[in-house]
Amino acid sequence: MTSNIYDRRRVNGPARSVEPVYIDAIEPMAFPEGLRNDGRSLDQLRPIYIKTGLLAAQQTFSSTAPSGSAYYEQGKIRVSCAIYGPRQGRKSNPRIGSFDCDFQYAPFSCSWKKRSHIRGADEKETAQILEQAIAPAIRLEAYPKACIDAYVTVIESDGKFATISAAINCISAALADAGIELYDTVAACSMSSDSSRWVADCSQLEEDASSCSQLVAYMPSADEITYLLQNGKSTLDRTEQAVQACTNSCTRVYAVISRYLQSSMEQPGI
Amino acid sequence: MSSSTAAADAADAAHVVTPGRRLGLTQEYEAGSGTYVRNGMIYASLLGVRKTKTEAEATTMGGATAGADRPDETSGRPTNPTIYVERRSTRYAIPVIGSEVLARVVRINPRAASVAIMMVDSAPCQEEFLGTVRVQDIRATEKDLVQMIGSFRPGDIIRAEVISLGDQRSYYLSTTRNEHGVVFAQSEAGNSMVPVSWEEMLDPKSQAVEKRKCAKPVAAAAV
Repeated sequence: MTSNIYDRRRVNGPARSVEPVYIDAIEPMAFPEGLRNDGRSLDQLRPIYIKTGLLAAQQTFSSTAPSGSAYYEQGKIRVSCAIYGPRQGRKSNPRIGSFDCDFQYAPFSCSWKKRSHIRGADEKETAQILEQAIAPAIRLEAYPKACIDAYVTVIESDGKFATISAAINCISAALADAGIELYDTVAACSMSSDSSRWVADCSQLEEDASSCSQLVAYMPSADEITYLLQNGKSTLDRTEQAVQACTNSCTRVYAVISRYLQSSMEQPGI
Repeated sequence: MSSSTAAADAADAAHVVTPGRRLGLTQEYEAGSGTYVRNGMIYASLLGVRKTKTEAEATTMGGATAGADRPDETSGRPTNPTIYVERRSTRYAIPVIGSEVLARVVRINPRAASVAIMMVDSAPCQEEFLGTVRVQDIRATEKDLVQMIGSFRPGDIIRAEVISLGDQRSYYLSTTRNEHGVVFAQSEAGNSMVPVSWEEMLDPKSQAVEKRKCAKPVAAAAV
């Protein structure tokens, strides 16, 4: 989408907003002393914050409240997800339910361009990625003829692959909050490489400076990768290495999500 | 009261499980609601509290989960305790064949009534499902003489049973049983009516009688 979209029904902010340029900004993928710009090591993930149930009925006083919701932060990435369902499906398969995902970037979420309110092609593609990554984890045979809808909104984005992984983690937490039957919660993680080494959980600057990015969505209890996405050029050995390392990172993300879900149940009245 | 709930919460907190957590072997336990079985191991499928019940205490579990494994062995071998995952907050239900539903009549025509299913087996639906009651499924006897206008009117609340998952658009329901039919209706004057027989309801204010296929009132404890 070009940046000169003018929507006459809304108060338009500046067409383009960018982060200020810092004078002593270091080259993103050069790692002096083995540390990155924000002080992380090469395989360290950004800190994760999760909260579920923020859109629940008693919070919003609405009769059309979602069954479950989650808010997820990973570094500067902020994603929110609402789950509606199980409800009457449009596809209506008598044997198995369906899972549909709607993904959108908030217009202010990407610091390098203003997004339109209309779903772009990349948002539709990401919605399909999320459906394919999450659907294997849901016990759809327990919901014949019904459909489960996930609505994901990216409030702030920082690294395309990292944002998609954050969306997957957010949907997993929201599905658990909604009481949908799952085989397991899916955890996802991303890595990027500048053709010499793989770096976990890259920010937008690091991803722009890399030549290859990879995303893995993983279900630890079944030891199954539900989705694998690679963008860019890499050799077979390096890809295999990255898949292994990314899967290990997914296990760490899974531990964070599980620990949060358990502690969310321990509050009284839940 | 609050201290006993706090103690119960503390005991439960030790058994909070997330989906995918292993609960036990199928050799030692039966899989209850909120669980699934893979390769001889029972896993949790919900975020909730892990509980067990022995066969002696087992009553029919409320239809919280459609399609979950249910222990129904009645053979002579000793039965294992059932392990299940309980979720205290609202579980939204979907209609399954054989479940009893509460629905609101939306539209009628001489061949079928369209209804919006609001509750399934005492669990609410997140959004109303569409159902259809065909005219031949309203009554058990004299099916060819049934008239829709004398059985249901738009706005009535009915109790019905799901007989089929139906087609693309709606579930098929039936009210042939005595306990199924209209449970609440308003007369043409706008007052709530009370059932006087299986086919008539009375408006206490205007003394007008209207024809409906009424549900046999059940004792309060059973509901």
